[in-house]
Amino acid sequence: MEFREGFVAADGFRIRYWQAGEGPALVHLHGAGGPRLTRAHDLLRREFRVIVFEMPGFGQSAENIRTRSMPELADTMANAAEALGLDRFNLMGTSFGGRTALWLAAQHPERVSGLVLESPAAIRPEGARPPAGPPEEMARRLYGRPERMPPLPASDPAVVTKQEALVVRLRGPGRDAELERRMRGLAIPTLVVFGTLDRIIPPEMGRHYKELMPNCHLVFVYDAGHAIGAERPEAFVDLVADFLERHEAFVINRAETIIHP
Amino acid sequence: MKVSYFETGRYVAPPDLPREWPVPAGAYDPELGAQSCRGMVERVRFVEELGFDWISVSEHHYSPRILTPSPVVSAAFLAAQTSTIKISLLGPIVPTSNPIRIAEELAMLDTMAPGRFVFGLLRGTTNEYLSYDLNPIEARERTDEGMELILKAWTEPQPFGWQGRYFQYRTVSIWPRPQQPPAPTYALGTSAEAGEFAARHHIGLGVSYGTFELMGKATQYYRERCAHYGWEPGPDDIIYRANMILGETDDKAEEALANRSKQAPFPISGPLRDALLRSDVTRNIAGEKRPANVGGVLPISFCGGPDRVVEQLRRCRAEIGAGIVDVSLADPGTGNVEGMMRSLELFGTKVLPRVRDI
Repeated sequence: MEFREGFVAADGFRIRYWQAGEGPALVHLHGAGGPRLTRAHDLLRREFRVIVFEMPGFGQSAENIRTRSMPELADTMANAAEALGLDRFNLMGTSFGGRTALWLAAQHPERVSGLVLESPAAIRPEGARPPAGPPEEMARRLYGRPERMPPLPASDPAVVTKQEALVVRLRGPGRDAELERRMRGLAIPTLVVFGTLDRIIPPEMGRHYKELMPNCHLVFVYDAGHAIGAERPEAFVDLVADFLERHEAFVINRAETIIHP
Repeated sequence: MKVSYFETGRYVAPPDLPREWPVPAGAYDPELGAQSCRGMVERVRFVEELGFDWISVSEHHYSPRILTPSPVVSAAFLAAQTSTIKISLLGPIVPTSNPIRIAEELAMLDTMAPGRFVFGLLRGTTNEYLSYDLNPIEARERTDEGMELILKAWTEPQPFGWQGRYFQYRTVSIWPRPQQPPAPTYALGTSAEAGEFAARHHIGLGVSYGTFELMGKATQYYRERCAHYGWEPGPDDIIYRANMILGETDDKAEEALANRSKQAPFPISGPLRDALLRSDVTRNIAGEKRPANVGGVLPISFCGGPDRVVEQLRRCRAEIGAGIVDVSLADPGTGNVEGMMRSLELFGTKVLPRVRDI
């Protein structure tokens, strides 16, 4: 079954989404570059009802000059999920969308059963910037092993300009005291995933989530860059699916190693 | 009766250390770690002088409670800095390791200092499986097969292949070999499987922490299986590891028992603990089903002044059949090193001379 495109209204926005699969709901919020379906989504839909949103102002949507802050964007996405009948769901956020997802979880903890933050940008060092430039430069920043990846398509300059303005407006400071205060009280089972070759957010940022959040698990995906789901989809999805199924107990290995019975 | 002192590394943790297993590695203090290693040598030399027969080391991971993730390294370090006392490794956790590596490392020890070592092979507690990512459901069978492979690697003179359930090698021929016969070797555990394995291979059995009655069931089962295989184990074939609170008087020991923390020093969080218990369901004592231990508080088996403890050691000998007791004289992880040193001295002077005829 392929992903089907749909639209839902929330906070006066007409929000595009793609949906596929059956099972527990998993909402995905994309990074600063806008939505992109990858093999990771394709693998996830085998176990989850996957809903990938295009956040207002990204991709093909109209320019968003209304949303003033990340908490506001998070509320809009919570409303979009509600409009799709999703009362309680698993939530995954990538990079910029990781910050959105954290705010959504912080503002509506009762609605989020498990939280996955892929290369999250909620805590950034000084000077960290979203990638920009021609496809080769984007690939070099997004992937740990760009030589192993197919070339990225050229992006539409108008979309890039529109998205960049929005990201600069919403992304907030590298360390946000209010967000971190809320993270300390957020008991939702949370998985933070960084690629060991992330060249946009240093993977060392992962430890801060672990320090702040009471039920947080940190995993490094070896040899992946910032776009983990695109670059090592099997490894990423195996981890995410196991975590969302078992939460804390995912640390107990259940793989069989028997060679011959 | 022979007496062994269980050396655990004794990292004196500051009070603000996080109290959950696994303990964040960033909280480790290298100076405290170095102090703990110096302390190991001091204490082992001290009990050697006091006349203890053995010291023991163990394998535990990811917390300062017992700061010895590699018993082989501990044993080599301590053997090099003492002269006569036997060093027992109780022991390498077999199911999480490469059995050939264990066979080789123990053989190296036995070659470096013949007659100084005692080897125990064990399955390990369930939380330890998280450290090396072992599926708990496979632990029992991997232990049995791994132990068998270790013994085979020690004794088979020709290169051999191993077509196991969990391990496969096309050729094995270890150098160095251990002494022939190898150092005294024990299967560690209270389960029917451990008892059966030890009996079938004519090796000793080490049991730990349970009551005399329960441990007596485990060793009785072992003795029955030994009889089945046509041999009778002696007192030196049974080790009992246990906690002891020794005071100058019974009252002082009772007071220390009453003040003992009811909490494990670095417990595992509730949901993970429950999941571990669900994942490890084959634990038993001599075949009677028991829940797994996932890092809870371990009981005190001996408590009293010297007279009472000597009496308890007599009962232990009679009920468990243990000819070797391996004692911990202060809970690992509590940081009470001075109190333990006083207890060791008291044990050495007031108890040890009276247990030889037990």
